[in-house]
Amino acid sequence: MQDVNSPLNDEKKADIGTSKILNLKNLSIGYKEPLVSKINKEIIAGESIAIVGPSGIGKTTLLRTIAGLIIPVSGEISHTIPKRGGIGYIPQKLGLIRHSSVRNNIALGARTRRSRWYPALFPLDRSLKNDIEDAMESLNIKELADEPVRILSGGQQRRVAIARTLIQRPQLILADEFLGELDSENIKSIVKATKKIIEEIGATLIMVEHNEERALQMADRIWRIKGNELIEDGDFD
Amino acid sequence: MVISINKKLFFTGTILLVLTMVFLDDLVEDWGQIEDAPEKLQTFFSEDLWPPDWSVLEAEVWVDGSLHKPNGDICDESFELFCSKAWTGMVVTLKMAFIATLIGFIISIPLASIAANNLAPLPINLAARIILAGLRSLPSIIWALLFAIAIGFGPLPGILAMTLYTIGYLGKLQYESMEGIANSPLESGMAMGLTHSERLFHIVIPESSNHLISQLLFMFEYNVRHGAVLGLVGAGGIGMYIDNYINPPFDYDRAFALLIVVFVVVVVIDLISMFIRSFVTEEGDVKRPKWWTILLPAGMAMEYYNQKDVEDESEAETEAIEVDINPPLSHHAQQVKKLSNLEESE
Repeated sequence: MQDVNSPLNDEKKADIGTSKILNLKNLSIGYKEPLVSKINKEIIAGESIAIVGPSGIGKTTLLRTIAGLIIPVSGEISHTIPKRGGIGYIPQKLGLIRHSSVRNNIALGARTRRSRWYPALFPLDRSLKNDIEDAMESLNIKELADEPVRILSGGQQRRVAIARTLIQRPQLILADEFLGELDSENIKSIVKATKKIIEEIGATLIMVEHNEERALQMADRIWRIKGNELIEDGDFD
Repeated sequence: MVISINKKLFFTGTILLVLTMVFLDDLVEDWGQIEDAPEKLQTFFSEDLWPPDWSVLEAEVWVDGSLHKPNGDICDESFELFCSKAWTGMVVTLKMAFIATLIGFIISIPLASIAANNLAPLPINLAARIILAGLRSLPSIIWALLFAIAIGFGPLPGILAMTLYTIGYLGKLQYESMEGIANSPLESGMAMGLTHSERLFHIVIPESSNHLISQLLFMFEYNVRHGAVLGLVGAGGIGMYIDNYINPPFDYDRAFALLIVVFVVVVVIDLISMFIRSFVTEEGDVKRPKWWTILLPAGMAMEYYNQKDVEDESEAETEAIEVDINPPLSHHAQQVKKLSNLEESE
């Protein structure tokens, strides 16, 4: 497998293992009424965290709140992550553009590495295009580059979503049940590829997973939502 | 036999029907006026419209026997049709509709993107919606009238009128389809920090491409049809000739022939739309429903289906020897097979 993404560039790179990347202070999340309250957590750059718990308990809501998509009911989220391209978010439905090709879907992640003042319709430069090709090769989807995403299988679509997020070289990756509905073989290969690349780019991962066994394959910290509280299990290195 | 009905649906349907009847009765004062309507219509059709006068597909013949275009130029085309009123008028109308639709589309897309409530905050939504509503609340014929007063007759006021109406009308259709796209790609884009224009061009437009193409071609078709009406205010194109024929000395049969030409063009545009949209619609190997499932009542369709099934089985038995075990796959099936093979090999 070829190296996809060179490590985070200096501007974005957080000090892995030492610097705090995210701080949740007295956070209550939910829609009007809090689903989970009094969340106080600090996350160090490079950690992998899995949020586990039964369906409907607020795992996705917590992830979307961290992603900045939902305003917290109360409390504060502070972080040092750049607004553009700093967060890579893989929603439960993967968030792919169904009628676009695999290459164009991945290019969306690459766009965040350009300045926000760059006109949206200007083509990507050569180095970003090369990175897209490398990302597709490392996730074994190069043959599908020109196929529209809608005709791909679940496993192939997940690879596209991962490639799109990884090419961003984000500091924080938020993934919502991205291993769901996959067979064990696919899970193994996707976990392996993802882990390798996350290590290479030095990103922090927060994932939502209702299946604890799968969560343990990726995460070294487990956050468990019980009732309306968030409890940490400890390290699972 | 007990037939179970959906009570909510039944009551809603009944209320809507009753309201329609009440409004209709309120508006129509004299129901007697429809008594001899069919006969009047039949007389008009048989005496004035039918048969259509297809001389509109021919060049004008002057007294010296030479062929001329409607504008008086000598016809030097290889086919006489190209010098006819139908052809020259339709070409002008198509050009007008093309320009108006394209410019209207280019302007309406950014306006629609700020009018869609999943892409911009409420105050901006409202401002954009008011502009779009303003543009489409004046029918294109009124816009054409205004421009004809301001800049005189010809295709230009027609193009301007069509463009403004296109922005208002297409903009509304567009922001409604943009609001209908799946949330998840947009959420990813927002979390990633993509700008409004990046989300518009790289997420919203590809996601709603099926609807946008269909609306664009519908608008083109609408503008072609309206070209026939805009002629009434001297906006040029085929409408100008139709206008000439429906005014004294009332050549309705020629106007009818021109309307048939418009109809044919509209059908062709619809077929083109179907072809272009086939690239962005869900394709599959699911077979199309048979005609009897659509046209026959459910009970009869089932009987027909069973009967057909028996016939098919007996046919299959007789042809069994000739049937290829591996029939050729459709293009889509081949694609799917290729992808699944690829996945297995991983």
